[in-house]
Amino acid sequence: MARYGMVMDMRLCVGCQACMAACSMENQTPYWNGKFRTHVEDIEHGLYPNVHRELLPRLCMHCDNTPCLSACPSGATYRTEDGIIRIDYNRCMGCYACSIACPYDARYPYDRDDVKTAEKLYDDDLSHQVPHVDKCSFCEHRVLEGLTPGCAGTCPTNARVFGDLDDPESEVHKLSKTGKAKPLRPELGTSPKVFYIPS
Amino acid sequence: MSFVHQDVWHWQIAMYLFLGGLGGATVAIGAMLHMFERCDRKIISAAVVAAIGFMILGTLFLLGDMLQPLKAVYALTNPRSWIFWGVVFINLYFLAATAYVIPLLRSWPGLVPLVNKIPVPILTLLERYNQMAALGGATAGFLVAIYTGLLISSAPAISFWNTPALPLLFVISAFSTGTAFLLLLFTFSREEGSSTIVQKLEQLDAALIVTELIILGAYFNFAFFLPTGARESAAILFETPMFVIGFLGFGLIIPLLIETYSIFFAHHTRGAATRMVTAGCLVLAGGFLLRYYVLHAGVFQYPW
Repeated sequence: MARYGMVMDMRLCVGCQACMAACSMENQTPYWNGKFRTHVEDIEHGLYPNVHRELLPRLCMHCDNTPCLSACPSGATYRTEDGIIRIDYNRCMGCYACSIACPYDARYPYDRDDVKTAEKLYDDDLSHQVPHVDKCSFCEHRVLEGLTPGCAGTCPTNARVFGDLDDPESEVHKLSKTGKAKPLRPELGTSPKVFYIPS
Repeated sequence: MSFVHQDVWHWQIAMYLFLGGLGGATVAIGAMLHMFERCDRKIISAAVVAAIGFMILGTLFLLGDMLQPLKAVYALTNPRSWIFWGVVFINLYFLAATAYVIPLLRSWPGLVPLVNKIPVPILTLLERYNQMAALGGATAGFLVAIYTGLLISSAPAISFWNTPALPLLFVISAFSTGTAFLLLLFTFSREEGSSTIVQKLEQLDAALIVTELIILGAYFNFAFFLPTGARESAAILFETPMFVIGFLGFGLIIPLLIETYSIFFAHHTRGAATRMVTAGCLVLAGGFLLRYYVLHAGVFQYPW
């Protein structure tokens, strides 16, 4: 079995937000209400004239030690054999325990209004038929077909590198072992599978 | 680092936490009073029925806040979740508290025909094991009260909540509101000996409020010295007049002063009942305000 993960090379991210658009198209996220599975944070450090701008793309970290999975009472949040954290929409009661538990702001409510709008927009192709809490799935449907997630496939600068962290031949494995790539907030012990190479 | 207000649990969840704690603690204290003090059965039964009502109402607030309340049938799937244990404790509470209160309802003449409709073997069983049901209800009530704090304290990214002090604070506050509610009811009891119960409840509530103040002191001391979101949350609370004046002032200190005055100086004076009702109502309002503002001050600490 694979252990899928992603490395974000912040030196390459230009903040074009194509990843957000691609993800939204691929996964029918409610962009009309400003809800996305992935974001690009535009961070400013320092004070004039010593300022520094940093772009941080973020999404679900698909942690190995998963606070959201532990918090979910209904079993709607589950881990696939490939280590991807997914949500069973038909089991999710929308209690938000997972949203409160997530240290990475990866989840948002796909509420009744969002479902209604999605019904009008996507008609027969509708993928979110009931209200639920939503988050990144690493585009598992694409990965199973041998493709990369929509965000990584679209990124014009290859700032997002996706693959099997356990495959020594994969680029994501090599990048994650350079020593430069670090997870966010490792002190929480969540063991995220998304790593960042700082700019 | 950025600090972002949690925006998913609102006043409905605060209401659930408040009513859950109040309902749980009322049965726990009421059952203890019944077993060890042999007090007014009418008042105890009214308190337990009201407590069950509080718990039902609290559960409805929780369900109403969900995206898909009907999917709550799946809530008993993951034992690693605190909500799983909350569902277990609340169901045990409903079972034990209902079994406990049915024989007690016979103390209300108007309800005797209704109670007598229950088949005799069941009623006999409930009478025989009434003390066991009382103990079960008290235990489940305590577990529900402490669960409300454990649920909130399990969020790793909200450092103000993620401390062992929060469950302790919530359980002491829950028992204070439960005591205040019983105090309110016993103020209206005409049975001989009720004044002794009122006196004991006053002493218990005063002791609980003092304990709550000590925990709050330690909690805020800890929060203000951490370079995390906990300091941000503590600062938000101290800048919120309804927390400082409403909860700390009117919800804790004023009822404590009223109860201390009653205990030491004026227990048998004419205004005692009015004072007790005032103190009880203030403690109850304070219990809700504590939960509302602790939720309100929940701040995520994001790494960007």
